[in-house]
Amino acid sequence: MTAVATNKDTGKPAGKGAPGRLGRAVRDHAGVPVMAALGLLGFWLFPEDLGLMTRILATALYVLSLDLVLGYCGIATLGQAAMFGTGAYAAGIAAVHLVSDPLVLLAVGGVAGGLIALVTGALILHAHGLTLLMLTIAVVQIVQEVANKARDWTGGSDGLSGIDPSPVLGLFRFDLYGRTSYLFALAVLLVMFLVARRIVRSPFGLACRGVKEDPLRVQALGGSPRRYLVGMYAIAGVFAGVAGALTAVSTGIVGLDSVSFTWSAEALVMLVLGGTGRLYGAVIGTVAFMAIHHILAASDPFHWMLFIGLFLMGVVLFLPGGIASLGERLSGLLSRSPSRTAEGDRP
Amino acid sequence: MKSVLRGALLGAVVGLALGAGPALADTVKVGVIAPFSGPFATVGKTFKEAIEVYQAQNGKTVGGHTVQFVYKDLDQANPAQSKALAQELVVKEKVGYLAGFFFTPDALAVAPLIDEANIPAVIFNAATSAITEKSPLYVRTSFTLWQATVPLAEHVYKTGVRKVVTAVSDYGPGIDGETAFKTTFEKAGGQVVDSIRMPLKSADFAPFMQRIKDSGAEAVYAFLPAGPTTLGFAKAFNDNGLREKGIKFVGPGDITQEPDLLALGDAALGITTTFHYSAAHDSAMNKAFIAKHKELFGSSDTVTFTSAGAYDGTHLIYKMVEATDGKRDGAKAVEAVKNLAWESPRGPLKLDPASRHVTQNMYLRVVEKVDGQLVNKEIETFPNQPDYGFKGK
Repeated sequence: MTAVATNKDTGKPAGKGAPGRLGRAVRDHAGVPVMAALGLLGFWLFPEDLGLMTRILATALYVLSLDLVLGYCGIATLGQAAMFGTGAYAAGIAAVHLVSDPLVLLAVGGVAGGLIALVTGALILHAHGLTLLMLTIAVVQIVQEVANKARDWTGGSDGLSGIDPSPVLGLFRFDLYGRTSYLFALAVLLVMFLVARRIVRSPFGLACRGVKEDPLRVQALGGSPRRYLVGMYAIAGVFAGVAGALTAVSTGIVGLDSVSFTWSAEALVMLVLGGTGRLYGAVIGTVAFMAIHHILAASDPFHWMLFIGLFLMGVVLFLPGGIASLGERLSGLLSRSPSRTAEGDRP
Repeated sequence: MKSVLRGALLGAVVGLALGAGPALADTVKVGVIAPFSGPFATVGKTFKEAIEVYQAQNGKTVGGHTVQFVYKDLDQANPAQSKALAQELVVKEKVGYLAGFFFTPDALAVAPLIDEANIPAVIFNAATSAITEKSPLYVRTSFTLWQATVPLAEHVYKTGVRKVVTAVSDYGPGIDGETAFKTTFEKAGGQVVDSIRMPLKSADFAPFMQRIKDSGAEAVYAFLPAGPTTLGFAKAFNDNGLREKGIKFVGPGDITQEPDLLALGDAALGITTTFHYSAAHDSAMNKAFIAKHKELFGSSDTVTFTSAGAYDGTHLIYKMVEATDGKRDGAKAVEAVKNLAWESPRGPLKLDPASRHVTQNMYLRVVEKVDGQLVNKEIETFPNQPDYGFKGK
């Protein structure tokens, strides 16, 4: 019942205000170019921090994949690292034994991540809520144990090293300063972001959001909620797999930490920090969390965890919708309709 | 024009961020990557304290160059982050040396980087043999499981034990220890009756104890990560009556490292280990080290093998700075020390030129109570043990 009520609520303001539509159009067309510009500005301003910034971009893609399942399908998961790690290991193993072209490696990672998500998703997505959460944790633990056991392939707890990708497009070598990795990661993130946006706005994406709001109603209309969920779970798996492969390619090593429960949970923290159900939220959350993490850890390598805890508590208390909701809150205040702060249909 | 603008902007940003002028030209920076927060924070602490003790004893300059340490926190095994931190240290902090590294994957991650930048990486701990094969610029001052286990297996055979069961955590170092023990012990003529691999996260050891009992072994060789896991294993060993049955408990020395002895309590009494460093090592140099540590930090309870690794690693860095006259030339620096022999708080040390790993004495120790405090009492010395696990390129 309540789900239907919310549906009606969110239906109203979307058609009501011209400012809302205008704001959305601006965001639509300016968003990606602004992200690209900021990325390049970072490249130009901090040429000595490209290693960290490359990691931020790859992580942003990973958090984006979590947003697709959590933010758009309402699947509570603590197992996204299973897909990330599978992609990373698949790309790493391919790089050691078969190919070295970075684009091919990304494709390998994506396919591997998508496949594992499809298989495990089909197995576990009949469950809901806490049961589902437990099952996703189980999946990530199993994948980690498999990676630990398959030492000949993955290097076990020593990590899989010796990944040496060839130059991007045969032209740009991965250099010590990380210039190539950074620009490569930025390009991958932007392309994948556009793809993700296309997906969440497609009829399929809208149907997924329908399942999140009210699975019964979707079923009554003749759709199969589970099929939509498994589909989106697999697509998000592809995204996570590409992110894993991107990390493997840019760092040259894959460790067991990339299939850990901790890494899954960290993605969740970053996503909630940025704001779920908004693709920008995933990117903003990752950049904010990792940048603050880095600055605090660099200024005090011994006690920084305390301060990051305080920061997270602050955000949760004062900005429950995440950082991405800040803009909406402000515009909401300006247009004097403060109740319309957390709409569900943000891209 | 563009570059001027860019330079000015950069200068402004960096200047604001650091609030300082250009670094002293004559400072050699060393980047230390280690866990300084989280569950392994004590390791980073022992690194840092040992470095400070060394600097207090030997001064902060060598050959007119000030040696400055920059610490970066890496709270758990995370090779991608290790690489990013190393990259930052090399590119931004302009360090001449990398050091630290508690976990093997973190050390392995920087191999391509140190090769390209031509700077040495001094490993204070990470103990998998194969690491130093991956780059000629790795130098290691810790130990390997092979190094500690081979003399132990020979010793166990000599005491008349013929049937042993190995029980190790199912991960890289555990498998290393198991292989080293099995190979050596069977070569000597003994028999490994069962090889148990326990999941890394297991907390209940009773079933494994039953297997050890059933195997009819006279001794158990165990290796688990130091800390709570070892604690659980040792307690289960006693609670299930294996000690009463007279089964011997042996292993490499990290299972009875000094900071854990207090928590292990009397459960640890009688555990026999081989290792390269005990805080109770009887030598003038170790006494001076412990005394200085106490003077600087008020207590020497935390001094353990990671302290020794960092102390000797710092010594090597000083020697390398001296040999290259403070210039950034990793190949030359490593060349200068790779035949070096010196005296350390743990005894005589010598780098092996092929593996760039220390050849050192291994000590047979038994956990005993001395003046109400548990210590690893050294009872026998196996001199000049190389890294048996090194296979070369």
